[in-house]
Amino acid sequence: MHEMGIAIEIYRTCREAVQEHGEGRLRHVKIAVGELSAVEPDLLSFGWEAVIADTGDEGAELEVEFRRADQRCPNCGESKDRSEGSWFRICPDCGAPLEVRGGDELDVLEVSFEAIENGAPEEQ
Amino acid sequence: METKTVTIRRKALAASEEQAAKLRERFAESGTLVLNLISSPGSGKTTLLETTVGRLADDYRLAVIEGDVATERDADRIRAMGVPAHQVLTSGACHLDARQIETALEATDLLPAEILVIENVGNLICPTTYDLGEDFKVALLSVTEGDDKPIKYPAIFSRADVTVITKSDLLPYVPFDLETTKQHIASLNPNGVILVVSSISGDGIDGWCDLIVRRLEAKRRS
Repeated sequence: MHEMGIAIEIYRTCREAVQEHGEGRLRHVKIAVGELSAVEPDLLSFGWEAVIADTGDEGAELEVEFRRADQRCPNCGESKDRSEGSWFRICPDCGAPLEVRGGDELDVLEVSFEAIENGAPEEQ
Repeated sequence: METKTVTIRRKALAASEEQAAKLRERFAESGTLVLNLISSPGSGKTTLLETTVGRLADDYRLAVIEGDVATERDADRIRAMGVPAHQVLTSGACHLDARQIETALEATDLLPAEILVIENVGNLICPTTYDLGEDFKVALLSVTEGDDKPIKYPAIFSRADVTVITKSDLLPYVPFDLETTKQHIASLNPNGVILVVSSISGDGIDGWCDLIVRRLEAKRRS
């Protein structure tokens, strides 16, 4: 279970982003979590709530965009549909070894905050 | 009150990855090849490391960082072979972070070394996410763990450049389908290398040590 530590890092990244663009209170954060990132989205959301509790950003929403990895056949040139959590060993249509693309994302995509006029210091 | 939305596209673990990038620069300067060993507890990381040290320590300057929740046992095993080792105790944390590697290097004289092996905390999940500035990750899978592990824990097997299937001397005694397992690993990681070894019988150890030496030489040339 390392999601708590990741939630702390995401919060730090968001705070830096807010400070680069003014001052304010976090409202909404959008992140991408890949299927191969070894991070569990629900645990991350629980961790996020714990991290922002009793800060000026309490109540800020964490939106997790889950990104599947793509198993593509270099021979057929197609992405292969697979059920969640299952993997093809070889291309189900032609038997060729498959390529894996994406799914390793762990990125902060978007940060929304209520801007405070005149850069007044926020409560932390 | 005005709500501002900023699109940032930043790595969630930016601080940790920045530290990993600094470590990578430092290892490039010192010409050190760095391996990050990741597996379940009990898959034979330390035993493979002992075998590797036995083969390479006469010709190369080695150093080891051990990550464990508790005890100095693993570092003691390596020190007993005359190779400098530092134990990072995580007190329950499930992985090593680049900042712990930096602290370990500051506190010790492990560098300069030609080959630094970091043995991560025994865990197939959490260490996957963290870059330690290594040249490559090595996933170990022992045949006693079962051949379904790559598809059950796809993240690490998709990211490790090298997968070492260990305890091959036990293959006759356990239901482990080697060819299917190799196909599973290859499907997650088409460009990865798969080795099959036994630290006890010595099978496959030449190939493993050759891979390390070849990659060290390639790093020196680059």
